Formats: sequence, structure tokens, C-alpha cells
Amino acid sequence: MGFEHTASPADVCTIKLKNFEGPLDLLFYLIEKNQINIYDIPIVEITDQYMEYLFAMQQMDLEIASEFLVMAATLLHIKSKLLLPSRKEEEQEEEDPREELVVKLVEYKRIKEFAEILKEREQIWSRVYYKLPEALPESVFEEILDVSPLMLKECYLKCMQNYYERQNDVTHKMERILRREQVSLRLKIKELLARLKRGVKLCFSQLYNLKHMSRIEVATGFLATLEVAKMGRATIYQKEEFGEIYIEPKVQRKG
Amino acid sequence: MDDLREIEAVLEAVLFAAGDSVPLEKLSEIIGQDKKTTAGILSGMELKYKNSNRGIMLRQLGSNYQLCTKPEYEEYIAYLGTGRKKQGLSQAAYEVLAIIAYHQPVTKAYVEQVRGVNSDNVIATLLEKNLICEIGRQEGPGRPKLYGTTEEFLRVFGFSSLNDLPKLSMNEIQVVMNDVPVD
Repeated sequence: MGFEHTASPADVCTIKLKNFEGPLDLLFYLIEKNQINIYDIPIVEITDQYMEYLFAMQQMDLEIASEFLVMAATLLHIKSKLLLPSRKEEEQEEEDPREELVVKLVEYKRIKEFAEILKEREQIWSRVYYKLPEALPESVFEEILDVSPLMLKECYLKCMQNYYERQNDVTHKMERILRREQVSLRLKIKELLARLKRGVKLCFSQLYNLKHMSRIEVATGFLATLEVAKMGRATIYQKEEFGEIYIEPKVQRKG
Repeated sequence: MDDLREIEAVLEAVLFAAGDSVPLEKLSEIIGQDKKTTAGILSGMELKYKNSNRGIMLRQLGSNYQLCTKPEYEEYIAYLGTGRKKQGLSQAAYEVLAIIAYHQPVTKAYVEQVRGVNSDNVIATLLEKNLICEIGRQEGPGRPKLYGTTEEFLRVFGFSSLNDLPKLSMNEIQVVMNDVPVD
């Protein structure tokens, strides 16, 4: 098993230690360095070397990540299994305790190789230049209509017909709007202001009462009251909740 | 638009104007041909660019197409003084990218299992560089995120599609394992 220490681990550590990406990386490095057949790892020796590295890391006060310790435990476990004398009968069925580790290492090796390929490809393809995306206007197309004079005439007639129909429709609507507007806020304000001019305190319920007025008229009357108060021409107050609303004229200062 | 040369000219103009990669679907819409025909015309163009003395080439990126310069003219472009200096990735980043490229869609846990080391930071960097992206979640406890490579990955590493990745057959291991003599 051509396996020998080429350099003391401590020497190598100083240069290399920090560069290990993880326990598999370190293990892989050891395997490469010692030119070991990955499918037939001399587990005792590799475990010893791995442990030596961990000790060296400790001596150098490097924080040893838990992953490295887990790997150390795994290696020691495999080592102990291999060192134990196995019973002959069971030997056939027994799995090689290294198998899981080997599968992991092979997978890791492939990934490392592909990572290398990626690195090389990036070198080549980083020499390629792309134009920045153009800020194109939303649409550069103008629609060109292909119409005969006859079609034009038909279109015109159709448009006019639509127009009249819509016009009639609007007239109808306008009537309804105008009818609704029979009670106008402007008029109510005018009325109220005229009454206030006499200088008498008014009661809202006497002014606007649902008994002889429409709902909309009372509501508009209320809006008019608020508006007049806002104009500073009257003060409105209540003596109690839901009680009578009094409207008192305010003397306007002239000048 | 039936003349092949005319169609190629149109595609060239459109791709140049876009600058960015353009989906095959869009291109086929523009030239009024079905997708299969369009893809055929585009791969023909790709070859023509490659084999004639042109400074630019056509690249396929998944189902998108984009024009770019040929790598061999980089030193001349450098004279333009764009001062572009790309920082390469870390060793760890190449490894994580390699794992994701082959096993996508893949969880972070799987990546870490293969590398035997925590990969949070590396994955964050790759996401930031838009080389990988989240492509869904795995059903099951915790519904972990699944990662895959992006169009940018194809662009940066010069692949046309994921089918271009060098084949690594994992079954091989089993075969070899069975041949291993137990000592």
C-alpha cells in the first residue's frame, strides 16, 4: 500500500489548512496526496493522518468546525469496525464499512471535477460581450387601415347612428337628473338665509318636517343648515342628544 | 416573408435591437413561422456565424437566443476601455453550483450533504449573482426550497441548455463498488 508521509502535517497546515472547504475536501486532499485508490482506502492510515490535521489545527488555535469532528468520528468508527476481527461466516454478507464513505467521496470527486470544468468554461465565456438590452418604446407599430370609400361611408353611418342613440339615451338620463334636482341645495340655502334675516331663532323640525315634505327635501334642508352654519351666518345647537336643532342667526359684521 | 435570407436578416436585426436574449416564441411570432421552423433557421444562423469571419455569434440559451461577440476578439474590445473586471467565484461557489446544476431541483440540505459542510453563504452569493434561483418547494416536512440554475448560468458558462452538461453517470459507482475486493 504505497503509503508514506511526505511532509509532516504541521508543515502543510501552515499553508493549506484554511483552504479546506470541509471535511470531505480535507479527506480528498489526503487521498490525492498519498495517491490512494479511492475504492480501497487504507482506513487506519487515513484516519491517523486526518486526526493529525485536526490536532495541528487545534494547536494553531483554528476553530474546528463541527463538520470536521463529525468526519473524525465517522472515520474512527469505520476504523474500529475494520480492526475488530470479523467472524468468517458473516464475512460474505457483511458490507464494507467504508462503502458509504467511498460513495460520498466519489460523488464529491465528480463534483470537484465539474467545478473545475465550470471554472475553465467561465474563463473562456467571460471574454464574450453582450449589448445591453435596448429600451424599446412600448409599441413601434402604427395600425394602417385598409378601407374602401364604401366601407368608410358605412363606418360613418354606423358612427352617427351610435351617436344619436347615445344622445337620446343621455337626454333621457338628463331628465331624470333634472327631476331629482328639483330640490336644490342652493335654493334651500337661499330660503334659510332669507328667514334668518328676520333675526328669529328657528327650529329645524318646524322648518323641515317629513310630515309635509319629501325625504329628499328634509335632507337637503339639513345640508343647507350645515352650509349656512359653515358660512358663519348662523349658529346651530342642540340641548340634548337627538333633541331639537335650533338655528340662531348671527349678526354679520359689515366692513 | 418566404425568402430564407430575408428571414435571417430580420432575425439578425431583431436580435441586435433587443440586445437581451429573446424567446424562441417571440421570434417565431415576428417572422410568422412555427417554432420548429424558426429554431431550425436559428441553428443554421448559429453555424453560419460560427464558420464565417464574423465578430459576432448567435447563442442559444435554453429556449432563448442572443447575439454576442466571439471570445477570441476580447482583446480588441478591451481597447474600448470598458474596464470591466469580473470577479470569479470562490472554490466553494463552483462546487455548490456544480451540485445544483447536476441534481436540480435540489434542496440546500442535499447540497450540504454532498459537500459535508454548511453552504448558506455560498447559496446566498449564487442567488445574488442570479446563477441559481428558487424553482419551487419540496413536498414534505418544512417544505424546503428547491434550487435550480438560471439562464445566466448558461450564459456565464457557455452552455446552450442543461443537456450540454458533461455526462456524469452516477450508476457507475455501484458497478465499481461491486468489484471492490473486501480485504
